[in-house]
Amino acid sequence: MSRTDTLPMPASALKAKSVTGLTTFDTELVRIAAVAIVLLGCTWLLSGQPFYMNILSYTFLFAALATSWNIIGGYGGQFSLAHGVYFAIGAYLAGNLYIRFGLSPWIALVPAALAAAIAAALICWPLFRLKGKFFGIATLAVSEVAFVLANYFDSLTGGPRGMSLPFKAGFSNMIFTNRFSYALLMLGFLIFCLIVSGFVYRTRLGYYLQAVRDDQDAAQASGIDVLYVKMTGMALSAALTAMGGVFFALYLRFIDPPTLLSLPDIGVRFLLISLIGGVGTLFGPLVGALLIVPVEFYLRATIGGSIPGGHLVVLGAVLILCSLFLKRGIVGAVESAWQSIRRRRHG
Amino acid sequence: MIKFTKRSLLLAAAGSLALAGGSAHAQDAFKVGAINPYSGAVALYGDEVTRGYELAAEKINANGGLLGKPIKIIRGNATNAQEAIASIDQLSTRDNVDVFIGTYMSAVAAAGSEAALQYDKLYWDTNALAANLTERGLPNFVRSGPSAGTFAELSAKAVVDLVANGLGKKPGDLKVWITHEDSVYGTTIGDRQAELLKEAGVKVVGKTPYSAKSIDLTDVILRMRDGAPDVWLSTGYIPDSNLLLRTAQGQNFKPPVTIFNGTADTKETLEALGPAGLEGIFVVSYPRYDISEKFGPGKDEYLAAYKAKFGGEPIAPQSLNAYVGFQVMAEAIKAAGGTKPEAVVAAAKALNKPLGSYATGFGVKFDDKMQNGLAFPTVGQWQGGKVVTVYPNEAAVPGVKPIGLSSK
Amino acid sequence: MSAFINVVTVGLLLGGIYGLVSIGLNLIFGVIRIVNFAQGEFVMLGMYGAYLAYLLIGVDPYVSILVVVPSLFLFGVVVQRFILQPLQNEPMMQVFATFGLLLLLQNMVLAITRGMSYTVPTPLSQVHFDLGGVSLSLSRLIVLLSVCVVAIGLSWFLKHTLLGKSVRAVTQDRRSARLMGINVEWTYMLTFGTGAALAGLAGTLLAPIYTMSPQIGGNFIVAAFAVVVLGGLGSVWGAFAGGFIIGMIEAFAGYYVNPELKHVAWFLVFIIVLIVRPSGLFGVMGAEEVGLREQN
Repeated sequence: MSRTDTLPMPASALKAKSVTGLTTFDTELVRIAAVAIVLLGCTWLLSGQPFYMNILSYTFLFAALATSWNIIGGYGGQFSLAHGVYFAIGAYLAGNLYIRFGLSPWIALVPAALAAAIAAALICWPLFRLKGKFFGIATLAVSEVAFVLANYFDSLTGGPRGMSLPFKAGFSNMIFTNRFSYALLMLGFLIFCLIVSGFVYRTRLGYYLQAVRDDQDAAQASGIDVLYVKMTGMALSAALTAMGGVFFALYLRFIDPPTLLSLPDIGVRFLLISLIGGVGTLFGPLVGALLIVPVEFYLRATIGGSIPGGHLVVLGAVLILCSLFLKRGIVGAVESAWQSIRRRRHG
Repeated sequence: MIKFTKRSLLLAAAGSLALAGGSAHAQDAFKVGAINPYSGAVALYGDEVTRGYELAAEKINANGGLLGKPIKIIRGNATNAQEAIASIDQLSTRDNVDVFIGTYMSAVAAAGSEAALQYDKLYWDTNALAANLTERGLPNFVRSGPSAGTFAELSAKAVVDLVANGLGKKPGDLKVWITHEDSVYGTTIGDRQAELLKEAGVKVVGKTPYSAKSIDLTDVILRMRDGAPDVWLSTGYIPDSNLLLRTAQGQNFKPPVTIFNGTADTKETLEALGPAGLEGIFVVSYPRYDISEKFGPGKDEYLAAYKAKFGGEPIAPQSLNAYVGFQVMAEAIKAAGGTKPEAVVAAAKALNKPLGSYATGFGVKFDDKMQNGLAFPTVGQWQGGKVVTVYPNEAAVPGVKPIGLSSK
Repeated sequence: MSAFINVVTVGLLLGGIYGLVSIGLNLIFGVIRIVNFAQGEFVMLGMYGAYLAYLLIGVDPYVSILVVVPSLFLFGVVVQRFILQPLQNEPMMQVFATFGLLLLLQNMVLAITRGMSYTVPTPLSQVHFDLGGVSLSLSRLIVLLSVCVVAIGLSWFLKHTLLGKSVRAVTQDRRSARLMGINVEWTYMLTFGTGAALAGLAGTLLAPIYTMSPQIGGNFIVAAFAVVVLGGLGSVWGAFAGGFIIGMIEAFAGYYVNPELKHVAWFLVFIIVLIVRPSGLFGVMGAEEVGLREQN
């Protein structure tokens, strides 16, 4: 990689990765399997401690959700802040089907994914006229609209009172008495998302998405149907996010608009986790979640009770420092460190 | 790349193991986990509730503690359902607390009590309002304080009884307009008020939910002014209640009677409206520290203890309610001789105390769902820059009367 | 009819509030292209600044402008110099950093105040005029007048002063501006400082209207983004007009439709306008494209 010291690093520095031969999907699968084994080992080691199982469940779930977001947000460069909407669609759909028709949440995963994909297509078809930050702000508005509507149409969502899912333990209900099972469930979902994301990353759709991200006009000129590529990426990402919503609803068993559609807690979070780990990379969102979710739990547990908002002061400072010193996320920082070592070794 | 992913995983694992350290000391204390929001929009009130627990614990500790051990309160911060589970997990495993008490927020109480059940620990609620909390029939859940229903009932009763009589009108001739913020808190109370008033034959001429985040609430006031109600009932948080009251003032909207629920009884509202702007406004709230000592025996002691410990008057009446709730819990635990939820629940059920047994004027009589049936809010009124309790009559200090009713 | 006039008045006054909150955001967004999530928190700091000035030296919030606005200008300059300037070529990390700043500022105020709500007393907040059944509050009228003054002043500044011209040059093409000898970094610091100072001004002027809480910034920020994008990026008069449009829609939807759904009404209008005319109502056609171009 040639260093251009005369000009500052270009905005999308992450695309300027050194290409040492294309990695195939098969290679990614091996890597994902290795990650799965390590995570499974850690989960198993800590299985006796519910506190850690809870943290791991959230970490895996949010890693999976950030991985889903990364498909369109990272590879495709469409910084959607409306993913909370798809998340809520999954959660409310599973809740309604379970309460009204006793339908197993496992089955509900399918309609949830479909409904979110359709919703994503309907929402984003007009919005894709907008680019970059304007697209982001428009999705921000979509998320706010969804909040008000979820609050208003209480026959579907339970409105502000929320929706409680009765506790009936059993595999078919996706409700378990021990936290270990949830951690495994979330881990399974994470691996699924990684495989889908890895598949997209290393096949045509992923390359098209990256081409659109890097230069939409050039992509269009070279014959890529830009709108179709963006829509497909968004629908896929939304479908996975809605499945995450189903798992979340069954884990918490209580859902209401603030839990599902809060911008700082949900909509912005997927983006933050991806950015901190390394946006546009396959494992970046996972690494980001592994860092930020436990740190948040730890801060809340240690200083959350003594100083009002104290843990969020520290978290805010951590975020600012991360943005300053990990400009390309953790994965990016590690990669450049690795490269400089290699360069030194090989002269 | 894979190597580094692994390494960061190991780092993360090592970090979380480090978390596990620093537990298991001070085993000789009776540990109570206080689950409340200590950050976010209602942090002040979470803290205020826990102050009530701390005062009660100090009082009990001065008399030899609970089950022979001094009480130690450990705070668990939770501003939503997700954080409630984490806090319960953490306090159960790391701090090994004996029982849980809370909560200023109903969503936190709902998730927290279920999580506590997994550890077979008691979740004693003093301050959460949502009616459905006790309807779940959770075997470890007890609520010693009033529910949202009692707030709605008392405000409806105040309209029919206090206001109609005071204005010399029949309930059927009264026109009421209800406003409430549109989250779970305001909606539950507002809906129930409308139901109860309709049952009592009162005309509810309008009901306007609004978002507490609104920049402007003039539309709510203008709509209500068009309906020309005799009574304005409102439920909200502090900033939006203040904005409503100031907008009403600016639009010259002053119905004969204004009743706020839950908020608008603190210094924060006084600062915003001034004594003149608040004069005569009624507030349905937890029993306040200005009730008569005869109605709430021990409230003077509480007030003195609060002032001594925190240097100033209580910020809101929530802490007195929490103080009493903690005492009832301690009595139930003492009677049960342990902290097993079934035993404490059975012992609590056996407690029978008439109204006027505690500093809030509460009695204790739990129903099958473990809701205390003898816990009620009271009605206060702004008079000369202070809120004084005026209703029910026996709660009021002798000589204090509601103002602004008979003249109309 | 009187109801109609009343609603129009409400919309105008509310538009003033929205415009005032948005004008600083528009400057930052338009010139530096940063989506500043923390702008609402700057407004919040302005409010608490007014309260602090009252508490410490007992001055009226309208007088405290003299202290609060320069302080926020300095604060903005520091934030731009030490946090955002190092991230100049990392637009997504800038968003990230401003979100961190949002958390930091909001919760620092929470930690210091315990979350107690405050109101700044001023005799002016009790003053209302009654014009034939239409009530006007003086404090809101002051906001309306201020936003007009600020918009006129700012557009004059940008058009007629050398500094203003350099700001516009940097907006149009960062690299060429640099070649022309304009110090881009200084211009950015000045712009961000001014944006923060305008938020501070908004905060002090709004302090007599609202009961402040550490979270109050969040109530303004989404609306402010909508105003900025609706009106047109980088156009002072766009933010001015956008504020009134949103204010009017909110007032009419709130009174004639349903207060609960009023936000949906203007969000929908916002999204539709954005789709039909991506550069905003008063923006220069293609301005949204300029914002995307990578500038070095």
